[in-house]
Amino acid sequence: MDVSGQYSNPLVKRMARNPLKDKIAVVGLGSTAYGRDLARSELSLGLEAAVKAIADAGIDRQEIDGICGSGMTPLAMGGAGFLSLQGALGIERCTWVKNGWLGSAFVYAVEAVFSGLCDTVLVVQTNLRGVGMSRAAARDPFRLRASKYGDVGGDVGLGDFAKRWFHSGEPYAAMMRRYMHDFGTSQDAFGLMAVSNRSHGARNPEAVMRNAITLDGYYGSRMIWQPMRVADMDVPVDCAEAFIITTAERARDLKTKPVYVHAMSLGGARVGEFYENTLGWTENAFWVALQGLWARSDIKVTDLDLFFPYDGYTLDAIAVTEAAGFCKPGEAGDYFKDSWDFTRNVLRLNGRTEVTTNGGGLGMGRAGGSNLYSEAIRQLRGTEGERQVKGAGTALVGIGSFFHDPSAVVLCTG
Amino acid sequence: MSNTAASDDEVFKYFHDVKIDHDNIAHYRGLMAKKLLINRCDDCGNWIYPHRPLCPKCLSWNVIPTPVSGKGRLYMYTLIMQSRDPDMPLTEPIQAAAIELAEQPGLRYLSRVVNCPVEVLAHDMPVALTWIEENGRFWPVFQPTGKAHG
Repeated sequence: MDVSGQYSNPLVKRMARNPLKDKIAVVGLGSTAYGRDLARSELSLGLEAAVKAIADAGIDRQEIDGICGSGMTPLAMGGAGFLSLQGALGIERCTWVKNGWLGSAFVYAVEAVFSGLCDTVLVVQTNLRGVGMSRAAARDPFRLRASKYGDVGGDVGLGDFAKRWFHSGEPYAAMMRRYMHDFGTSQDAFGLMAVSNRSHGARNPEAVMRNAITLDGYYGSRMIWQPMRVADMDVPVDCAEAFIITTAERARDLKTKPVYVHAMSLGGARVGEFYENTLGWTENAFWVALQGLWARSDIKVTDLDLFFPYDGYTLDAIAVTEAAGFCKPGEAGDYFKDSWDFTRNVLRLNGRTEVTTNGGGLGMGRAGGSNLYSEAIRQLRGTEGERQVKGAGTALVGIGSFFHDPSAVVLCTG
Repeated sequence: MSNTAASDDEVFKYFHDVKIDHDNIAHYRGLMAKKLLINRCDDCGNWIYPHRPLCPKCLSWNVIPTPVSGKGRLYMYTLIMQSRDPDMPLTEPIQAAAIELAEQPGLRYLSRVVNCPVEVLAHDMPVALTWIEENGRFWPVFQPTGKAHG
């Protein structure tokens, strides 16, 4: 039976644009030896190829502002993912980072350069003779261990305490304390962020946390990693969000009001993947991403109607707020007190900018930031009903970690 | 532990729950002998952590696992009040701390602070390396060096 095209629709016309034609080039390459047992780590092989490619291109490695590392997952720590590569190569700042494998990694890199997210990408693809590919490999303790702990997270939380902060809120708790120490502030900034998001959540019928809290309630919430409380942490839930993205030209023919991507940036800093090696408060990936964004955006921080700082932990939201330039580093606490809307018990920045109007991760539930994108899009469409911000035309979404997957995106109604 | 260095197989067996690789096995072999080894560039002198084979400062591959003095300062810390495993509640908070090693600014090692009351913990306090035994294995931890805490 011929089943080809069984879902086809003759009314659908496909475009095949090629705006990147002849606009992107390969300028360097590097290769390692090939061998059945080179007795080296995946990272070591990747670094050798990277160093050779940089030399072949004749560029300074600090010209690299994008990295596509090796792996099937966005994080893929413990191998030759972008975090490990950037840290190990001492590359200071990237505005685009990603992992990929097989043929897609090269295409991702071309996309990134063409889009303007970065100018010079290092692509590194490593392979090890895997234990499932060779019976001899399955007897090699190094390969066995790499296959056992090679996935995201690796051996975090197992034998070696020194790896416990590989990916966790525990280092964030320590960073929160260090922030208060270095800037001589209280914990109020974090508490007010939690109160604001919970107030919004209480007005969102889809939110998991429908009860608003006070600042006293914040301080009374259970201590998990001192000084971080359970109210500092987003609420784990089951959920999903999805988006359809197309060209502006195509969007104009569709029934929904388009929301445009005005500018965006990713961010990677040279710290790599170990949290205890955190750079200064204003050097981490959030700052790289926001600086990359403002360098590309005509819309400025004072033009924003909506602001969605990632609230996986309140520490993230404070960092995004300060990195975005709403206030100076360390001043979020005082700034939030000056920006407080007492009638609704929420933040309202610069006298106009509404913050995380659905409650975000702290109030609505943990969506890894995707519910910040969806709320921003609905607000800009003007379809949010009772919580619609009148005339909302611009939004900043800032999501990610101090080290991995930070993004800064300005959306607008055009 | 005998004076002869452990074989690769012995390191894998001892650290059965750690991702041992070609870049970090020397560090773990060191831990078995109660030595804290951190990679150092033999060309430019830069200390490198985590365990990587390339110097991020000068791109030299001449990287040597080297003992550290064990002196440092408490850069940042948290008290872990709650275990992630619901069946293994903590009896007391874990004093988890990033120790900035004396060898180089920004060179930090995640560890625990022992022999130190919680109210004494403070940013930048001087600490020194010591070792604790846990389930038959020795691990590097740090304790205050101030006179009051001997």
